[in-house]
Amino acid sequence: MRRGSIAVLVAVLLAAGGPARGAESERSTGAVVAATLDNGLRVLLLEDRRSPIVTVQTWYRVGSRNEVRGATGLAHFLEHLMFRGTPRYGSGLFARLVERNGGRYNAFTSRDVTSYYVNLAADRLDLVLELEADRMQNLLLDPAIITSERQVVIEERRTRTEDDPGGALGEEVSATAFRAHPYGQPIIGWPTDLARITPEEIRAFYRTYYVPNNAMLVLVGDFEAPETLDKVRAAFEAIPRGAEPPPVLAVEPAQSSERRVTVRRSAELPIVYLGYPVPNQTSPDAAALEVLSVVLSGGRASRLYRDLVYERQLALEAGGDYAYFSLDPNLFWFWATPLPGQTPETLEKELQGHIERLGREPVSEVELTRAKNQIEASFVFQEDSIHRRASLLARFELIGGHALKDQYLAAIRAVSAADLQRVASAYFHDDKKNVGILLPKP
Amino acid sequence: MPCRRLAVVSVLVLLLLVRAPAPLGAAPIAHREVLPNGIVLLVAERPAVPIAAVRVFMRAGASFEPPDRAGLANLTGALLTRGAAGRSGPEIDAAIEFVGGSLEAGAGRDGLGASLSVLKRDLGLGLDLLGAVVRSPTFPEAELKRRTAQIQAAIKRSEEDPGTVAARALARLVFAGHPYGSPVEGTIESVGALTRDDVVAFYREHVRPDTTIVAVVGDVTVDEARREVLARFGDWPRPASPPPARPAQAGPTPPRAASVVKDLTQSTIVLGRPAIRQVDPDYFPLVVAAYVLGGGSASRLYARVRDEGGLAYAVYAYVAPAHYGASLVLSAQTRTGEVPKVVDLLRDALARMAREPIGEDELRLAKDYLVGSFPLRLDTTSKVADFVVAIEEQGLGLDYADRYKAAIARVSVADVHRVAKRFFGPDGFSRVVVGATK
Repeated sequence: MRRGSIAVLVAVLLAAGGPARGAESERSTGAVVAATLDNGLRVLLLEDRRSPIVTVQTWYRVGSRNEVRGATGLAHFLEHLMFRGTPRYGSGLFARLVERNGGRYNAFTSRDVTSYYVNLAADRLDLVLELEADRMQNLLLDPAIITSERQVVIEERRTRTEDDPGGALGEEVSATAFRAHPYGQPIIGWPTDLARITPEEIRAFYRTYYVPNNAMLVLVGDFEAPETLDKVRAAFEAIPRGAEPPPVLAVEPAQSSERRVTVRRSAELPIVYLGYPVPNQTSPDAAALEVLSVVLSGGRASRLYRDLVYERQLALEAGGDYAYFSLDPNLFWFWATPLPGQTPETLEKELQGHIERLGREPVSEVELTRAKNQIEASFVFQEDSIHRRASLLARFELIGGHALKDQYLAAIRAVSAADLQRVASAYFHDDKKNVGILLPKP
Repeated sequence: MPCRRLAVVSVLVLLLLVRAPAPLGAAPIAHREVLPNGIVLLVAERPAVPIAAVRVFMRAGASFEPPDRAGLANLTGALLTRGAAGRSGPEIDAAIEFVGGSLEAGAGRDGLGASLSVLKRDLGLGLDLLGAVVRSPTFPEAELKRRTAQIQAAIKRSEEDPGTVAARALARLVFAGHPYGSPVEGTIESVGALTRDDVVAFYREHVRPDTTIVAVVGDVTVDEARREVLARFGDWPRPASPPPARPAQAGPTPPRAASVVKDLTQSTIVLGRPAIRQVDPDYFPLVVAAYVLGGGSASRLYARVRDEGGLAYAVYAYVAPAHYGASLVLSAQTRTGEVPKVVDLLRDALARMAREPIGEDELRLAKDYLVGSFPLRLDTTSKVADFVVAIEEQGLGLDYADRYKAAIARVSVADVHRVAKRFFGPDGFSRVVVGATK
């Protein structure tokens, strides 16, 4: 499992759902009802009658990638402020109302999206639609509340980055790897920006990105889809379409240098991170990169665990990860925590050795099949949770359409050992390498 | 699932008191039976998704280890999957991961646990492996050495996390003299001294069918589950001797303070004290009281410390019941300079609730949340599996979900005030601060 800010802040792939070969999983999968309102709001509804509950997820296509230099942390700050009041529902009332109705809620901001969810009894759905429609357009953004919430965000940054060695290292590696593209900026924001951001900037950001044509509502649970679609229309259709938000134009130029950063912090064990620029799901190599991450890091039989943690006892943990759903090209990460007595240099060398081996020799049939089975099985497991079903629909919708789920699975099945070897050779070069070392301060 | 009806009277009572949307008079959460060798078998049918979750709980946790063998249960649990019944650890890993399943084992304070997650079509294989690791672990010496080094490294690294450091230090104070005062993983020194003989002895003494719970949840019928579990566990012989004695319940401890100096920008403050568990009727008012105090974004602590004060991102209070003791904990993380202010705010909030009854509105909100959100605790196969094991292990009864909701619904303002007077006096709390100043 990755440490620190990566696990928290990078959009995590939840392996997509799809019927297991030969299994009759149609019992819990129905057809997704999809619609786009006149104002551009995208709506996905999936009936799931197993429990009288529903998940209502509101996804905005805005994350830290939409921020500019000098004003990082806006998207996440705004996420906090979405709970701090509208004229109709004052600060804290969203929370109170949801809790009164037995609901659980939370939100997160990633590089690509800001996502809100409320899970509650299906017969309380109307309340959530009203609350979400209200805060999509009527957020108060009271300056006094902004002043107070700014301190909360700064405390959060302390927890996740200043006082978390892995978080601090991840932030440095991202900033090193991305020179032109906003993925180099921390989602929580640089502390200097956090201290400076004004209410006017927050309001402008809100007006730009929190518009129905930049948002998606995903509901999974115990409801009738046609009736619920009517309710969604009634709650949201009066919200006017906004101007199309500006696209992210920055393209990270090809990396042709080895970059290294060393961070010294109060810590008990060193950490090694490697990041290599790789394409996202739009590339024909994406499925292979996905399978590669599972071959490397999917459990105790996987390459890195089996060799570095188990056989040779060099690392406390080691792994690799790929962000298939990233909206723009991102990094393929490797990481390792040396066991006491081992140095980060050794672990870097060992990770390097594994990378080279992947480019030199094809993986075994067993490894390849296991990785595919793991991905396919996780599709089935995620069907058990309405929350995960909804999140997965949203992830696929964001990259082009919820139905892409099936193509994803087909592409995974089609990956060959030769494909893995090819992508390992193509993308993991020394002169495309970003290395971060965390050294414990004595 | 069999569909039994609650007595008419209790249904009416629930209708009057509970505004939760959960179905009333619902079927029992699981089928329960005791196998001939004493294993308690729990089965909950969830046919919608072709998966199964199986949990095995063995009454052999850290609370059962000798005090001079801290970390023994944890090491034993970690080693269960590292070799069993003719398969090596890596072979077990490869077998379960090849089918996209998982098989994990470990220990907590009260028990060893083995946890299987598998597609329905691979249930046979999964149960074969589960049966092997529970009944026939081989505890290879080489694996013990590996695991020891890993556990020690993990302990070392956990010292970086102020929350973990604070919780450990607090447990030492709140549960002084009781096994709950020791960390489950042990210390670097204590783990280094553990031998294979220790592990084997602990396993032999404590792991037995008549102190084991097996829960099967998912796309499995009761009959199928019984058959499959009997096939792997039916001939596990029940020892003639009675099971080992259980730990005593944790008793009262004097409140004390400790600080741990660490080079951090933020300090972690935890207040804690012994409390009560579910068998005490005041438990439910205490849960409501703790929720009003610090349970969610509508709570008093959240409002004062985070929303109004901007002093913390994380601030909360909760009751933590366990089989042999319970605690009440408050926690906040704030920039180092504000520690005294936040400590005062926490103490003020406690004192105020002990002094003055809460409002009806606050009471209703807490109860509506605690009762209304209950279905969300049981909306996946994994959650149901973990829940049924917990209620069985703690002897709470299979109807605990309904009793919990009913008991919470009955709590009054006077009940909350009574438990706040009993438990919320600020001077009754031990305190730990982890951060840059003493």
